[in-house]
Amino acid sequence: MNNEPPNTTKTSLKQGVMEAIQKGRIRMRPRWHFVLFSSLATLGVLIMFLAVLYIASLSIFFLHDSGAWFAPRFGGRGWWSLLQSLPWLLITLLIVFICVLQIAVRRYEFVYRRPLLISAAAILAIVFIGGFAIAETPLHRQMEFYAHHNELPPPLSLAYGAPLHMPAPPGIFHGTVLASVPGGFIMNDQNGAGTTTILIGLKTKLPDGGDFEIGDDVVVIGDPVATSTVRAFGVVDVGE
Amino acid sequence: MIEESDEAIALRVQGGEVEAFGEFVERYQEKLMRYARKFLLDPDDAKDIVQDIFVKAFQNIQSFDASRRFSPWIYRIAHNEFVNALKRRQAHRTVFTIDFDTLFPHLVADDTADSAALERDTRATLERYLDKIDVKYREPLVLYYLEGMDYKQISEILQIPVSTVGVRLARGRAALQKAAQVV
Repeated sequence: MNNEPPNTTKTSLKQGVMEAIQKGRIRMRPRWHFVLFSSLATLGVLIMFLAVLYIASLSIFFLHDSGAWFAPRFGGRGWWSLLQSLPWLLITLLIVFICVLQIAVRRYEFVYRRPLLISAAAILAIVFIGGFAIAETPLHRQMEFYAHHNELPPPLSLAYGAPLHMPAPPGIFHGTVLASVPGGFIMNDQNGAGTTTILIGLKTKLPDGGDFEIGDDVVVIGDPVATSTVRAFGVVDVGE
Repeated sequence: MIEESDEAIALRVQGGEVEAFGEFVERYQEKLMRYARKFLLDPDDAKDIVQDIFVKAFQNIQSFDASRRFSPWIYRIAHNEFVNALKRRQAHRTVFTIDFDTLFPHLVADDTADSAALERDTRATLERYLDKIDVKYREPLVLYYLEGMDYKQISEILQIPVSTVGVRLARGRAALQKAAQVV
């Protein structure tokens, strides 16, 4: 137990602190120390935020590229295709980065004043909207081009290859209409590897109607019936 | 004579008048000693910890924004020191884990003053059964009833949402009542 009388404690505590200050045993840190620390912390948060946006937009870009992003328009089968195409490695990385970001921003008053769920939801909304906006720009298309021509340094070049970039699951075809044929059309593949004949039947789902023109950017979900021939379960125009 | 504000003293210390820091020690040592004893429930190392709080406050005084209130700032340093002390004491136990109170928005009554009699009763019960209350609820109870802080100040010190302060105070009061009934 501390048996010192309160007044003695009071005097000795003040004396101890002031003596240490006067003799220079404890020193005041200069203002620039805090300005630097705060700037570095803010810069760290900003870099983390940009990284999160980049990963989110890359995931959306891959899903757009494979056509899986548009698959849910065909109902249950489309949702299943989307689930199979999700870039799980990128999504795991995204979740880890968002958690780190959430922890990093907890020191700011405008964040800790709000319940965790609200700040997390705000971060998710910003990341999703921002990621979607970036995915719409030519950024990833150009980066992918440079990566495939070995003009991008690692680790950026690695982002555009396997295993991060998952191939489209079987049954989803994304390409451009090349020609109309009786009962369907011919389309080239997104990567320009070849052509596929798409057969449209009475049961084919056509959310945008069936008027496809040469040059239309389309996503087809269907089953191969022969080499390079697919019976379409659904076709959607994703050009606009 | 009007007493010089804490923030004005802080500005003087920041400007190089280190002697003025003694005024802070005078003003806050009793409050912080009381806070330490109530939070840590062990008066043995309270003096050393409070001394460390003043050392940290002096070292970091340039980070204090004098346009804001000084007391939540120094109490925040105290809170961190106490949490560290508890961690050292319970080296193999986690003091704070994931706090679900801060996760969801809560609809809790605003910071309304209790009646004087109710507050007096709560304070007396708190003094008596403080050691029976979990540290998570003990701290807001001490800050609110014994240190006279409002919800906003407690929210700044603990860096939690204001609604969570309300939740912890309500749960703390319930725990106090339960402890009093058991005894």
